[in-house]
Order: sequence, then C-alpha cells, then structure tokens
Amino acid sequence: MNGVVEAAGVSKWYGEVLGLNAFTASFGKGITGLVGPNGAGKSTLFKLLIGQLHSDQGKITLLGEDPWNNVPLKRRLGYCPEQNQLYGWLTGQQFVETLLRLDGMPAANARTEATAALKIVGLSDAAQRPTQGYSRGMRQRAKLAQALAHHPEILILDEPLSGADPAGRVHILQTISDFAKDGGHVLMSTHVLYEIERVTNNIVLIHNGKAIAAGNIHAIRALIDTHPHAVRIETSKPRQLAQALARMEHLVSFEFPAADTLLVRTRKPDAFYKELPQIVSDTKLDVRGLESPDDSLDAVFRYLVG
Amino acid sequence: MSITLPTYSRLEIPLLGRRKRVWAIIATGLRKELRRPAAIVVMALGAAFTTITSIVLLFFAPFFLPGQAHDLTFFALPASNGFVLFFVTLMAAVIGSGLIADDMQSMAFTLYLSRPITQLDYLLAKAAILAPLISMVTILPLLLTALVAALLGLFSWTIALEAMGISLVVGGLLTLFYTTVTLFLSSLTRRKGIAAAAVFAVNFGLTVPAGILADQIKNPAILYIAPWNNYLAVAIAAFGASGAGIDWPQALSILLGVTVLAAIVTYIRMKAVEVISG
Repeated sequence: MNGVVEAAGVSKWYGEVLGLNAFTASFGKGITGLVGPNGAGKSTLFKLLIGQLHSDQGKITLLGEDPWNNVPLKRRLGYCPEQNQLYGWLTGQQFVETLLRLDGMPAANARTEATAALKIVGLSDAAQRPTQGYSRGMRQRAKLAQALAHHPEILILDEPLSGADPAGRVHILQTISDFAKDGGHVLMSTHVLYEIERVTNNIVLIHNGKAIAAGNIHAIRALIDTHPHAVRIETSKPRQLAQALARMEHLVSFEFPAADTLLVRTRKPDAFYKELPQIVSDTKLDVRGLESPDDSLDAVFRYLVG
Repeated sequence: MSITLPTYSRLEIPLLGRRKRVWAIIATGLRKELRRPAAIVVMALGAAFTTITSIVLLFFAPFFLPGQAHDLTFFALPASNGFVLFFVTLMAAVIGSGLIADDMQSMAFTLYLSRPITQLDYLLAKAAILAPLISMVTILPLLLTALVAALLGLFSWTIALEAMGISLVVGGLLTLFYTTVTLFLSSLTRRKGIAAAAVFAVNFGLTVPAGILADQIKNPAILYIAPWNNYLAVAIAAFGASGAGIDWPQALSILLGVTVLAAIVTYIRMKAVEVISG
C-alpha cells in the first residue's frame, strides 16, 4: 500500500442511493485518469479524498493519510471542483488570491502567485474581470489556477476539461502535464474518454460506484481479450476481402458500413494483425487503410461495463 | 510562428498562521455583505433609527418616568427600545441567514473547506462577520446615547461611563445570542429564505404570543420563552431599574444557555457536515 491514493472497499451512501460501492483501487504516481459516466461516483470519490465526505465503509488514504477532517493534508492538495465557484463578483485575480489567503499565504505572495497561476492557464487578459462574466471554459481554467497556485503535491481535478474551448484545453492539458513533469501527482476525472489519453495511460474505470478496471490502458486491453475488437479496413473490394478473411476462426462478424469499407470484429486482435498481411498479399486485394475505431478508452469502457 | 506557454514549477512558500487565514474569510465575507444594497440599507437604517430613538427616549425620559431619580436607571429605557428588536431581527434575517446557507447553496463551502481551514475557523469567521454588524444595533446606539447624554450635560460623566460599561455587557450578550442563533439557523439549510423565516419566528413568533399569553393567563413565566423578554429582564436589572416582569437570573441563564447550546450544536453540525453536490 504505497500508492498516492489507496482505497479499500470504500462505500458511501446518500440515504438509499449508493455513491460508491466497495470501491477498491490504488492510484500510482504521476497522472491518473478516473473515467466513468455521469453518476458513476467520480465526484464522490474526490470528495472523500479531499475530506469533505466520510466513507460509510472501508478505508481510503491520500498521500498515506486519512483525509477526513485532516487539515494539514489540505495544504498538500489542490482541488478543482466541477461546478462551483466562490463569489461571482470576484475577479479572476481576486478569486485565486482569496483562496491563496485561505491557505495562509502572505498577501504579496498571494498576489504574485495568483498572477503567475492565471498566466499559466492562459487567463492573464481576463484576470481583472469578474468571474461571473467568464465562459464555462474560463471558469474551469480559473479553478485550475487556484488549485495549483499554492504549489500542492497533488492536484485533484473534477472534470477539468468540461466546457473548455480548444485553446483552453491546450492550456489545461499543458498545465497538467507540466505539473506532473515537475513531480506532482494528478487525479483527473472525465466522462469524455479520449481526453485523458492525451495526458496519461494510467486510468481507473469507475461504474456504479465500483472500480471495474485499473492500470495501463494496454494492460486493461488485455483484460478484454474475450470481447470482440473492431477493425475498420478501407478497401475497394470489401466483400471479396471479407470472403478471404472468413477463414480466420477468431472473427466474429463482418459489416459493410460504406461502399469502400469493411468492418470486422475479432476475438484475437493480435492474431488478426499477424495474419492479415499474408491474406492481403495472397489475394492481391487493395487495402488502403486500417484503423481500429475502438482502440480507445471509449471502447474499453463500453466493453467493461457491458 | 511558435507559441510558448509558461510552465509550472514547484515552489515552497512559508504559510501564515490560523489567525490570518480566518481573517481572509472575514475580509471576503465583509466585502460580500458590503456589496449588497439590502445589507447596507438595513445596517444604516438600523444604526440610525435605534440611535436616534434611543437619544430621543432619553430626552423624554422625565416625561415617561416622572419623579424618577436622574440616575443610571434612565438608561434602561433606551436599552429597551423596541427598534433594537426590530432591526436586530431584520439584520439577522437579511445578513446572517445567508452567511452559511449561501455558501452551502453556491458550493463556495466546498472551496473554503478544500483549504487548510477547520470548520471552527469557518464558524469563527462567520461569527466575526455577523457580530460587529449586529452590534451596530445592539451596542453602538446605547454607547452613543450615553455619550450624547454626558456631552449635553444631562448626566454626569460618571453615570454615562457606567452606562456605557453596562451597555457593552448587555448589548454584547444580545449580540452574542443573535449571532450564534442566526448562524445555527443558517447552518440548518441551504436556502437562506428558510433561515430568515426562522429568525423572524424566533423573535416575533415567540415575543408577541408570549406577551399576549402572559397577559391573558396572568402568568409572566410565559415571557421566558421569548429571547427579547429575557434580554429586557437582564438589561433592566443591569441598569438598576425594575418592571421586567420576570427574574433576571433565570432570564440570563436562558439567554446564555441558548447561546452556548446554539454554538455547540452549530459546531458539531459543521464538523459533521458532508459537502454533497448534485
């Protein structure tokens, strides 16, 4: 048990609603993505980690400590909530400064650090505007700025890319990567799966309050070998190619989504990719492109949750 | 053309102590209240009305209390000023009811508690925001009345200073009571309207029926259920006057007991509160 986050059989009820269901996972160093649909229990897990919820069962630790009512631990973490802001009339600069002052940072330092943090997330130009006039993406960046401005050891980011515009996403992802490169840890939740692939391969999949898979994306892939793996092949003669491929015993299905496309599903992707070149060569069929539409977290998630 | 983004780098900064962190909450809270026209109007009207009426009452005291010695007991009259009850209720409802409820509703509470502050820090800060504002109605007018009385030569400085000291104590007691009770009510809900309604219920909802009932059934003990009546008993006794209808020691015990109980229950509740968002 030496992960950044250790959760063992953690359950949390909201009355009769189960927020987390015997959640067990270990989050390592660097960036970890917590992936799951809305209502999966991501925010509940994060609230437990920042000590704002208390688990009904099980044990959870952050940086080796119990987070519930653990004030010193809060100095070591930066939290970016999904929805809330402080007071809308505060400017971006005041918003970050105020929260830094709550950390006990001297006023001069708070001003300097707030300015620097807003610059990192690309909000310098809007720093003197009230946050209530910010777009959703700008608010996300302002919240990220307050989370990292006090130089925490770990960032806990609840849907940080939610509502962010393309430029904002670049800033946010760049900031997260830099933070991790500098030795910081990041826990980042999302329900848009492709986003997390851009910053990490380490993921924990959560569904109905349970961790259904954790680890490297490729390791998780190994867990789902029994599930069909889709491959989209661009060819001028999809039906002839399908006929040639039919001798592969591990193929599950063929589809013809377009006149020049063949979509196959296989239970053994490794074997498929090994045998395909020989078949193409033997039949002399024209294969212009090959892609796996579900070689992404999205597919992993779909498979695992059924 | 290339774009260079600033990069993050770790830095250790010495952090200030708890007092400074609490002050940061107070400063933000006060700035928030001083931006609200409703809060400013209530504060200004409250301070002005209670002060002016208290001074006027003092001037007319000889007519209200003919034959009474020109002493400390006169000051029981401004201390019993009905405008104090009216404006303290209004202030608690307009300003105090939202202090915690608004933070819960807007989830600002989540951000506060994600920082290294305790629930006690948070509560102390909220009390430190509300108490000075309430004291503008409960203490300030009494102090100004005594000061004006001394400056105009209506009373000796000895009596005026004594009146100021007593005003500080009884006004402080009322301030403490309304601060803790209002924060308690505000901590019970995310909707400040409900907390505000509860503030009115605690004041007028208890004071008016208690007065009517006590009069109807000729049993003054009923008056103990109303905080205002308990305050009156203590204030009147403190200034050496009489006529409260109930005994001041019991009234003081009730006021202090409720104050302490409200503070403890609010603390326990905040300590156990879990921040649940949608």
